[in-house]
Amino acid sequence: MRTRAFALRKCFVSILCAGVAALCCGSASAAPSLFSVSSSSTRAVALESVSMRAEPFSLNGAANFFPADPRTRITVFCMNLDFLQGEGASSLTADAEDAAHNLYPLKVEYVGTVPSFDGVYMVVLRLNDSMTSNLGDVLLRLNLHGAASNRVRLAIGTIGGGPADDSAPNPAPATPPGAATPLTVAQYQAQYNNPAFASDSDLRRFLEQASWGGRGDDVDFSHLRAIGIPAYINEQFNMPPQFIDASTDPKFSLASNYPFSQSYPQFYPGSPAPPCDSSTTCFRDNYTLYPLQKQFMLNALTQPDQLRQRVSFAVHKFIVVGGQQLNGNQPFWFSPYLQTIDRNSFGNFRNMLFEVTLNPGMGEYLNMRGNSVVSQSNPTPNENYAREVMQLFSIGVDTLNQDGTPVLDAQGNRVPSYDQTAITNLARVFTGWDLDTNKSISLDGGVTQTSAANYQDPMVPNNNRNRYDIGQKTLLTDVNHGTPVVVPACANCTTGTSAQQLANTQAYAITSLGTAIDNLFNHPNTGPFLCIQMIHQLVTSNPSPAYVGRCAAAFANNGSGARGDMRAVITTILLDPEARGDVKTDPNYGHLREPVLLMTSLLRAFNATDTSKTDGVLVSNSPSNFSNTMGQNIFNPPTVFSYFSADFGLPGTNLVGPEFGNLDTSTSYARANFMNTLFLQNTGVPGIPTGTNRPVGTKIDYSALQALATTPQQLVDALNTRLMHGTMSAQMSASIFATVNAISSGDPGGRTRTAIYLVASSSQYQVER
Amino acid sequence: MKRSRREFLRDTGCGLTAAAIVSSLDRLSIVSAMVQQQPEVAADYKALVCVFFNGGSDCNNMVVSLDQFSSYSAARGDCSTPGATPNLGLAQSMLVPINPVSGGHFGLHPNFSPEVANPAQLAGLLGPWNQGKLAILCNYGSLLQPTTKAQYQSNAGGAFRPYQLFSHSDQINQQMSSIVKTTGQTGWGGRIADNTGSLNGVTVLPMNVSVSGTNLFETGVTSRQLAIGTGQLQTVLNLNWNGPASATPFTNGSSFRQLLGFDTGRALIKTSSDTMNQALSADQTLNQPDPMLTATFPGTSIGNQLKQVAKLIKIKDTLGMKRQIFFCQIGGFDTHTNETSADPTVPNGAGGQGNLLTQFSQAARAFYDEMGAQGNSNSVTLFTLSDFGRTFQASGSGAGSVGSDHAWGSHGFIMGGAVLGGTFYGAYPTLDVNGPDDDGGKRGRWIPTTSIDQYGATLAQWYGLPANLLTTVFPNLSKFATQSLGFLG
Repeated sequence: MRTRAFALRKCFVSILCAGVAALCCGSASAAPSLFSVSSSSTRAVALESVSMRAEPFSLNGAANFFPADPRTRITVFCMNLDFLQGEGASSLTADAEDAAHNLYPLKVEYVGTVPSFDGVYMVVLRLNDSMTSNLGDVLLRLNLHGAASNRVRLAIGTIGGGPADDSAPNPAPATPPGAATPLTVAQYQAQYNNPAFASDSDLRRFLEQASWGGRGDDVDFSHLRAIGIPAYINEQFNMPPQFIDASTDPKFSLASNYPFSQSYPQFYPGSPAPPCDSSTTCFRDNYTLYPLQKQFMLNALTQPDQLRQRVSFAVHKFIVVGGQQLNGNQPFWFSPYLQTIDRNSFGNFRNMLFEVTLNPGMGEYLNMRGNSVVSQSNPTPNENYAREVMQLFSIGVDTLNQDGTPVLDAQGNRVPSYDQTAITNLARVFTGWDLDTNKSISLDGGVTQTSAANYQDPMVPNNNRNRYDIGQKTLLTDVNHGTPVVVPACANCTTGTSAQQLANTQAYAITSLGTAIDNLFNHPNTGPFLCIQMIHQLVTSNPSPAYVGRCAAAFANNGSGARGDMRAVITTILLDPEARGDVKTDPNYGHLREPVLLMTSLLRAFNATDTSKTDGVLVSNSPSNFSNTMGQNIFNPPTVFSYFSADFGLPGTNLVGPEFGNLDTSTSYARANFMNTLFLQNTGVPGIPTGTNRPVGTKIDYSALQALATTPQQLVDALNTRLMHGTMSAQMSASIFATVNAISSGDPGGRTRTAIYLVASSSQYQVER
Repeated sequence: MKRSRREFLRDTGCGLTAAAIVSSLDRLSIVSAMVQQQPEVAADYKALVCVFFNGGSDCNNMVVSLDQFSSYSAARGDCSTPGATPNLGLAQSMLVPINPVSGGHFGLHPNFSPEVANPAQLAGLLGPWNQGKLAILCNYGSLLQPTTKAQYQSNAGGAFRPYQLFSHSDQINQQMSSIVKTTGQTGWGGRIADNTGSLNGVTVLPMNVSVSGTNLFETGVTSRQLAIGTGQLQTVLNLNWNGPASATPFTNGSSFRQLLGFDTGRALIKTSSDTMNQALSADQTLNQPDPMLTATFPGTSIGNQLKQVAKLIKIKDTLGMKRQIFFCQIGGFDTHTNETSADPTVPNGAGGQGNLLTQFSQAARAFYDEMGAQGNSNSVTLFTLSDFGRTFQASGSGAGSVGSDHAWGSHGFIMGGAVLGGTFYGAYPTLDVNGPDDDGGKRGRWIPTTSIDQYGATLAQWYGLPANLLTTVFPNLSKFATQSLGFLG
């Protein structure tokens, strides 16, 4: 492709020069600027790449340059491609819209500068396979770093028809731009060291990505404005979580947003359950996830280490333990898992994988706990953890390029990253581990002494030697090994005294486990796999391959030679041009706010008060009530595939939209009903249930907005700034204004609440862009 | 402040003709597609009801060959014997014996008909089996083409191994999409709806209804599913409004509704708005009093789901539906451990397969009885899907009850008045880890002998999908000689 394109562009130069010389200027902008043929037409400067014919374009190239793929390639011209160093086609996306408003993604196959016009680019696009031969005019758009170009008109089959223009004609400027000097990633990031560099909307979007939502009192925004994003990120990295208590157990270094959780016996001692306000042994607080769910909301609304919380929840969503599968939701079985993630969120991913693997809750959930061979000759150990740790926690099912795109074989098929044999071998490594010795516990102020299964300490190699598979296992190739890593058979597990054999076997198990975790950690897929997960959750559902690649490079090397540094990954994700910059106009940018994020964003935006009863947002003693109704029962994902599938496809498109996996007819109403409860109903009126075991409900404070209600446009504008960082369209603003204006000025509260409801319940807000 | 449905319907002044509602919903591509198709409305009613066993149900304990019982018990042991290793197998005395017309002697998992061992239990599926209204499709699964053991192992040209066998997410995708070479973007239930929408004429509700959330199965190229919960129809979709009357979202042209029509060039925003639009239209149509049902549904999740389906079928004429595809699911079948209990006649604890099969069989039986009482038996066919089957050989061992790992071929259950039942379709596998049906891994991962395409196509033809559109809906069907398996009359 490259060779041919270079050849072609020589031919184009003369054509283009005429255009450049004759026509005039567009305003300088960060968005790509596609050229149209004249100042009175939006028709693209476009040529069929092989034949150099002008439009209309047929679907298959007349010259049939690629017999195996005859689909027509189109060359268009543009400027203002603000590439970073090394960026090219994989940073660009393109789409075309037809008269029926179908949107066709177009593959960008090549981009390069035009000789002697180093600021002018030619872009080669492949027509979409779903297009029909007589489509008529389509509007073409290019996107780079979340910024959309103007749209120009192309004819497929016949000239004419198509959607109405939505951009002005954009001829090439009389004086073409000079050569761009692309920034390196480090240079791009360094711009943000100047706190004044970022626009307000950029900073507000940053808070949407890096916290549970910007605060209505702007304390976080003002601080961010004062110190800049890089310093803010570092501050977050160095901010300790709220519970640091190494004294509870020397083996258990607690540095987390979840407190030490008292061990409890498997079955509730005594009946009936005492009320929770008067007893520490009540059912709700010890046999349901209530205390952890409540802690989650409290943390999200009040704790300053917001970035850790966002990252930890993101990790929880792809390294999943579901609380409901753990012994009737016992929080003490579950909290060590949350603590494990918390303490590794800003650490190294290798340690995350290792500690999660030995977490007893995980062991219980995916059956590594107690996993045992049937016999050495016929091991057939339980495959559950081996399969899911590869598929979901580390490398994924497809062999990936470093930019996250799948490697394809000669037939165009994806290449599996492991097979059943690899699963079987890894499962054999994961044998022999079980819970540590029981915890002795004291209940009822010391009246009752009993013991409980140990779900606090990491799992340990069990004392039953027969459970271990001590044979050779073949794992995967990785970045340090060109051939599959081999765990050798144990040399000394059957020699010496019985005690020596056990000790040797346990030592072998520990070494083998380390080798296996290293192998997964060092697999080339792990960086791009982790990056895709994190970008999906923090920034956008459909990142460009280049964005994923920059993140994966940071995973591979944090700049100091270390692999797997979570801080480097997070920094790179949040300081990428695809995350930063002014308002994003790429139509596919962003992601749907999942229920939890929707709730926290609004509660923080409106200064939720009475945070000692944050669970009371839900006006019941089930803290997950609203979240659950919206399809996300906190800490209780239905399966190890999480609350929703990470690769859920947006129906009718080739886009990914994970959070749409639980948006359906019912939950779309549930979302609006949450807004109704929070903004229209939960206004402090009497009648909300109260009682010792019945939280009374969090209230929001919208008084600052209400002060603007006499001038409804100011109210709408403030909501645009605060909730949508300036992305609200003029027609949306006008519609809300009309409705708010129609409410009596004597009812400023009604005006304010209605305006908030309309913005918050809108798809435009719920899709965070 | 909350407004009643009645007020809402009055104020919006729709008069509730379908055409009036449709005209206000021109943004919904499904509706406009239907209008454009100049429908030839079906005279009769038919419905497909999919029950998805989420997690991969262990087919080897669902239907046990008594003729191969010694192989079975040698591999799986006996869960009723304390201390047995492994304890994955069912004792022959527990099984519910059946003698299919197709030959051989088999036993159903006892929890498929819990009343046999324990008359106090609600009845399961032995009755419909004995009436010839329950068929079992043996060892079906995702296949690129008919595949032998040697072909699977050589995988010449990559032509014999479906994408990502044994992976939950990918195999669920393939069961729902019948696209087995890659990741399907649409489901075969959705594509049936894309191609049979004309049978319904102009309706407000889409053809496809889920009572268990968003699913790929019912997602078509243009068709979208309505996903509702269980419980009273009048409150199943309930939008609350406590704001000023002038701003009510119930009024056409309100700002709430206007916003749904803005920014539709942005794919994520459009999908979110389309979903809300669909809720707003279905809300009115579903605002019906619950019909009286004859059968007693168990209060389980799957019981409530099938009860909701039964209610919707009973008021099909009110809703104006002639063809419907329903989706239900029951989760927890990923039984790597604790698959069996010592006494399967007593439904065991959470997670055990027997407990789930009890829930399914009692709910499905109530549904079957209810369809009979409604006179809709011959119009409604219930069928099961699952991620995959599970290994014949147990997974690991240990102190507790063991389970089984992910495998491939599985058995489907098809029930209804139109089913030619009391017999097996497909080929029951040879229960031998060194045998012809094993994939070569020697754990008893059965290579399917019938494809998901054939299974789906058989259901689709009965439903009314024209023969010339079969390969449109099931692109891989032409690889298989038989396009109708014959289990529906």
